[in-house]
Amino acid sequence: MQIIVVGAGQVGTTIVEALHDDHDVTVVDVDGARLQALSYRYDVRTVNGNGATRRVLQDAGVAEAVLTIACTSRDEINLVTAMLAKNLSDTKTIVRTSNPEYLEVWRERQIDVDFMVSSELETAHAVSRTIGVPAAKQTDVFADGQVQIVEFDVPRRGSGADELTGVPLTEAAERAAARPLSGGYEHVVGLPLRDARIPEDSKVAAIIRAERMLVPRGDQSIMPGDRIVVIGSPDAARTWSRIMARGEHAVDDVVIYGAGATGLAIARVLLDQRIRVRLVEPREERAREVAEELPDARVYCATGVDPDFIERERIGQARAAVFAMREDAKNLYAATLARVHGVGFTIAIVHEPISIEVFERAGIDVAVNPRSVTAEEIVRFAHDPRIRQLAMLEGDRFEILDITVRETSKLVHRPFRELPMTGSLIGAIVRDGSAIFPHGEDQLEPGDRAIIFTESSRVPEVEKAL
Amino acid sequence: MEGVARVLRSGALGVDVGSALNLVAAVLKYLAAAFLLPAAVAVGYREPVWPFLAAGAVTAATGLLVERGTQDKERVGPREGFLVVALIWLAVPAFGALPYLFADEPQLARPVDAYFEAMSGFTATGATLLTDIESLDRSLALWRQFTQWLGGMGIVVLAVAVLPRLRVGGRQLFQSELAGPTELERLTATIRETARRLWVLYVGLTLVAIAVLTAYGWTGADDAMGLYDATAHAFSTLAIGGFSTREDSMAAFAPVTQWTIVVFLLLAGINFLRLYLVLVRGKVRAVARDDEFRLYLAFAAAGSALLLVELLAGDSSHGEEAVREAVFQAVSIMTTAGFATADYTAWSPLAGLTLLVLMFLGASAGSTGGSIKVVRHLLMFRIIRRELEQTVHREAVVPVRLNTTVVEDRALRGVVTFIVLYIGLFALGALGLLVDAKRVAVEVGAFEALGAAAACLGNVGPAFGFAGPFGSYEPFSDLSTGVLTGLMWLGRLEIIPVAVLLTRGYWRA
Repeated sequence: MQIIVVGAGQVGTTIVEALHDDHDVTVVDVDGARLQALSYRYDVRTVNGNGATRRVLQDAGVAEAVLTIACTSRDEINLVTAMLAKNLSDTKTIVRTSNPEYLEVWRERQIDVDFMVSSELETAHAVSRTIGVPAAKQTDVFADGQVQIVEFDVPRRGSGADELTGVPLTEAAERAAARPLSGGYEHVVGLPLRDARIPEDSKVAAIIRAERMLVPRGDQSIMPGDRIVVIGSPDAARTWSRIMARGEHAVDDVVIYGAGATGLAIARVLLDQRIRVRLVEPREERAREVAEELPDARVYCATGVDPDFIERERIGQARAAVFAMREDAKNLYAATLARVHGVGFTIAIVHEPISIEVFERAGIDVAVNPRSVTAEEIVRFAHDPRIRQLAMLEGDRFEILDITVRETSKLVHRPFRELPMTGSLIGAIVRDGSAIFPHGEDQLEPGDRAIIFTESSRVPEVEKAL
Repeated sequence: MEGVARVLRSGALGVDVGSALNLVAAVLKYLAAAFLLPAAVAVGYREPVWPFLAAGAVTAATGLLVERGTQDKERVGPREGFLVVALIWLAVPAFGALPYLFADEPQLARPVDAYFEAMSGFTATGATLLTDIESLDRSLALWRQFTQWLGGMGIVVLAVAVLPRLRVGGRQLFQSELAGPTELERLTATIRETARRLWVLYVGLTLVAIAVLTAYGWTGADDAMGLYDATAHAFSTLAIGGFSTREDSMAAFAPVTQWTIVVFLLLAGINFLRLYLVLVRGKVRAVARDDEFRLYLAFAAAGSALLLVELLAGDSSHGEEAVREAVFQAVSIMTTAGFATADYTAWSPLAGLTLLVLMFLGASAGSTGGSIKVVRHLLMFRIIRRELEQTVHREAVVPVRLNTTVVEDRALRGVVTFIVLYIGLFALGALGLLVDAKRVAVEVGAFEALGAAAACLGNVGPAFGFAGPFGSYEPFSDLSTGVLTGLMWLGRLEIIPVAVLLTRGYWRA
């Protein structure tokens, strides 16, 4: 399919990287040098010029384009590009924005754009996912947060395995639900899944051991050193993270360094989850603005690297700290200082891709790159608009699909235990706005949204079946 | 002060006094029409009409003459606003005092006394020098009530609503008279239209009060009430003034009337801009969700409760009577009306101190009440809370909010400045009264002096001791009367617009 990408910066490049294999991509940018660099690396057509003009869009072939992605760093250019593209053809449009206001108006259908992505909001969600579930490697949220998909690295210290056989996974979850949950690592790891105390409303979607994905059955067990993918309710995800984190408490107190647009968005999302938020912002004007905007947050006007300040405000007692300042170097410095003062979990926003490695070596727990988060979100939509969200786990080998079940599907009205075992797993279904974590007797209904965990190669098969 | 004098001498004047006078004169010209109401009443009761006609003529003539003398000076800038407001509130009572002098009222025969009474009227204070109110001509007594009504909503607000020339530049004037610590939200796009609606609401509520009170008289619910008393008391109630035509104030009327007055006082003590939204546009939330309104009711309830403790401990009154007396006195003093249904001067120190504290609370900003006003207390509390918080968390940025909107630091500084000035003036005033009392050998206790200063500065009216609700300020010397007149003036204009005039920077170009 024909796709136009307007803007060849970090976001644009990441998008091109993900799409150029399967699609005909045309990239538009005002910077000729950038385009040249891009065309050496990928097999894409390039058009030099302002994407928000009719001539350039026509040159780029908007008439045949199925999708136009406007992802320059300037909101208004993106909006005008999308508007023009809509007028010139029936292309679908995706707009990148940094303004949550635009996003809000778009959700109210006041802006005629098919999909809008806010870097700040996506970043905030990425951060909150990691904070809400501290031990999680990568998580995704479906159905307005009612269904979460979380990846854990299972810590190596564990107890030995017992001997048990032959019960389906779903019933293991059922039995676990019947038992009071002790929350202990020992009751989950090393036991066959059907005997393991899996938290209620959750399923183990995959066990990844030595680069191989195992479809979990009742007789398999989670072993120390495995990576597991869990699908479940937010409560269950939190319980899982407690089990995996062992001893770490849930995060309830977060310090955010830098109250720019990203810091503000992160603070908002965390406050919504009733997490205590403290913001550190050196610019007085901005600190005041943010304090006025967020009545529930504590805002400091300070650089935050003054040892006196850190000591006095007990920054070290925060469960987690997010570093969302504009410069990677400053984030690194402040994060290192925070770690020295005892902050247990540090998350840094990175702007240069190269910084991720530096951060990793410095011992920062998580690095979030707003541009790649944004690009990821855009690629998800580009893949198939019917799939509302699509997470790419394990370097594209596994995918999580969010598919609405068709009337004509052969699987409708059959109990789950009769469904063929094909290596795909229906982790949850969303019916009338609320999430159901299905057991053997539940049935699929037309119109249900099914959250499915599957291998990439099986995606077309699954899409057809439903 | 000498700084001001120096600037005046040097001639480098930055304030256009001529244009200020011109505007004051224009207001006086229109004020002359106000004398027609008592004149009509005088005709009705066959009392002398000429004092009102003469007063009207003098006022109109002065207005016209000054206006003529300051021709071509019709543009009033924001800077002149302070001067205009201050002068209007000095001049209007001066001309409003004329009927007392012309009518040869023996109790107010001297200009100082007449001026005090008129100032107490226009500022809706309710302090009186009269010792025998009921001996007044009915027309003169009604004029006294009417002055409160005119001043209650604000003469300048009325002028902004009516005078075509104030279409531009009225904002500054409006702001300095319709009191409140923060920028007043507007009902409409133009300040002039807002002023008009406020007055329409004010007139409307007054008419309702007149109708209700008159109905009590006709239906026999209150035998003492007639159209005359209903009108007179509706005027002083909606203005939160406190003047009465009766020696016994509201004690002369039936319980149902007293309860009704409580309701109207509470209504008049609400921010009129918000009251308008509720009564005219049906937006109940504008008031129900208002921080100030809630605290206002809480203050009234707390004051009533304290007085009730006093009354139930003694055995002067019981049951409904005790509740009514407690609520009425608390609401009347707190909203700064100054009506009374009981002689609280006879109550114990607990009640006296409660009432003295209530005098400092006041009604809401943008109401017809005076004193510090509830919203300033609210903001002061939040300022203090912020200070304490920042003592511990030095770098914390803590915005002060009012109904979720952030109040600017400038406005907050204004609140602190106002309260400090207010307390300072109160202390100085009380001290002045005591010094003067020593000079002329009048028996004035410390509590009486404090009460009188608080009652005049807060535009409450009655104080304690001889100046109590059924008493009179008559024993005070002329000097003391003058001091108290000044306090009423300062209190009504909320000090700062007047204090600004005392700075050299105001006058300098």
